[in-house]
Amino acid sequence: MARAVTTQRKVFFTVASWAVALLIFFPILYTVITSLKSETEAIQGFGLIPSFTFENYVLVQTQNGYFKPFMNSVVISVGSTLIALLIAVPAAWAMAFSPTKRTKDILMWMLSTKMMPAVGVLVPMYLIFRDTALLDTRLGLTVVLTMINLPIVVWMLYTYFREIPGEILEAARMDGASLWNEIVHVLTPMAVPGIASTMLLNIILAWNEAFWSIRLSAANAAPLTAFIASFSSPQGLFWAKLSAASTLAIAPILVMGWFSQRQLVRGLTFGAVK
Amino acid sequence: MSTAPTGRPNRLFRNLNAKVASIPMILTAVVIFVGGTAWTVVYSFTNSRLLPRLNFVGLEQYERLWAAPRWQIAVENLLIYGILSLIFSLVIGFVLAALLDQKIRFENTFRSILLYPFALSFIVTGLVWQWILNPDFGVQNVVRSLGWESFVFDPLYNPSLVIYGILIAGLWQGTGLIMCLMLAGLRGIDEDIWKAARVDGIPMWKTYLFIVIPMMRPVFVTTLVILASGIVRVYDLVVAQTSGGPGISSEVPAKYVYDYMFLAQNLGQGFAASSMMLLTVIVIVVPWAYLEFGGRRRA
Repeated sequence: MARAVTTQRKVFFTVASWAVALLIFFPILYTVITSLKSETEAIQGFGLIPSFTFENYVLVQTQNGYFKPFMNSVVISVGSTLIALLIAVPAAWAMAFSPTKRTKDILMWMLSTKMMPAVGVLVPMYLIFRDTALLDTRLGLTVVLTMINLPIVVWMLYTYFREIPGEILEAARMDGASLWNEIVHVLTPMAVPGIASTMLLNIILAWNEAFWSIRLSAANAAPLTAFIASFSSPQGLFWAKLSAASTLAIAPILVMGWFSQRQLVRGLTFGAVK
Repeated sequence: MSTAPTGRPNRLFRNLNAKVASIPMILTAVVIFVGGTAWTVVYSFTNSRLLPRLNFVGLEQYERLWAAPRWQIAVENLLIYGILSLIFSLVIGFVLAALLDQKIRFENTFRSILLYPFALSFIVTGLVWQWILNPDFGVQNVVRSLGWESFVFDPLYNPSLVIYGILIAGLWQGTGLIMCLMLAGLRGIDEDIWKAARVDGIPMWKTYLFIVIPMMRPVFVTTLVILASGIVRVYDLVVAQTSGGPGISSEVPAKYVYDYMFLAQNLGQGFAASSMMLLTVIVIVVPWAYLEFGGRRRA
């Protein structure tokens, strides 16, 4: 019956889940397989066993200079995450431990900016960037991604901070801890898991961001998403090479995701469900 | 610890700190997003072309917008994509979550695999699916090589099916997240409810349909809003998969805006279109915000 999970049922559900998982994972797997094929092999048709050639990976670097966009992606996603945390930790601290009547409204406002269509601010942003010479610079993209992901960072930190009993901070304050000490030595150590998963999620979001990166960057500061997008059009038929570029772009995410499954899931669900 | 000053700080200062701490965040959100959006709405009433100019022409841009076949196709596509992706995401997401809630083995691994597509960029997703749906290399080719020679499956090359091809990729990417949200909701339901339902002899599917789902209303509402706001903005996926083609048959509003702003150099038209998108989002978000925040405060 309902929750009486018999062995038979359990086996059935496990098999069913794994079938679904395989189906879902297959496109990613096949991209990796294709990247290890030669170009002629790749367009020949369906085949699960590649010839394990690494020429595509070499070509991506030698012909297209993969390393530069990769470094851009690293700098931009890590940089924007750190800046976002710097701004968000105080904000979330304020909202979680000294809530006012308006705190909920502010949170709502903040999250709603995340839902607004980005195209609505595209031109003003573009003009600001042009006038401040931030177009196609790492700094510029870092700033944009910081702002775009800030609402999510604040929201997630807020939900984590809320789990920390305010009395502990109160006690530290009673003992005469300064504000700085209160945040750095009392709050932060307790919130490390929360801050870590927020960081992780934000790095992934920034890593994948394409809408702004494509518009606001060119040869100089283009991150991997823009790199692959530009790659795809003139070389649309070089599937093996394209697969190699895509594999390289998603590999860090897959590895990071695997080692931090729990935080990732927790982060993703906590970011949205209170 | 060391040199304790004057006991505890008074209330005003505590709140002052809090206010100062949240200023950078509020500034960013308000100045950039609200300011930028307001600017766009104002300029949507002008006839700006290559550069923004304050030469007001009233509603002319909007009239032109709604008369444009391309915009009509974009809106129609968005409706098809939106409605179907809402239904399928919620149903598939819930079924998968229910499946996962059966205490299966290696649950964490399974959950991560389902979340993987969400961790990929839309650009990569679009490319991968462009490949899978390509008649020469992908599914069609595989089925034909198995012997079914007349099998046709080329959604991305068929103007009347292309939006469904994009939908498949979108679902593949987004369902894992929905499943996680639903799972969190399912886990939040008291075990006693299951026991009570079992004691009363209510079949499992009825328990889900009439007891569990109504209890998960808040989760559903949040999921709905996340989905809806994502749908209105769908852009990357279309660009990576079809670039709006064949012809203009897979255009979506965000792409329309983008193209008019940067390729057609008709800023006013792009502004008008993006203001329409904003209006749509507001129509979705405001009732939710009211339910979620307004109602609770009064209670």
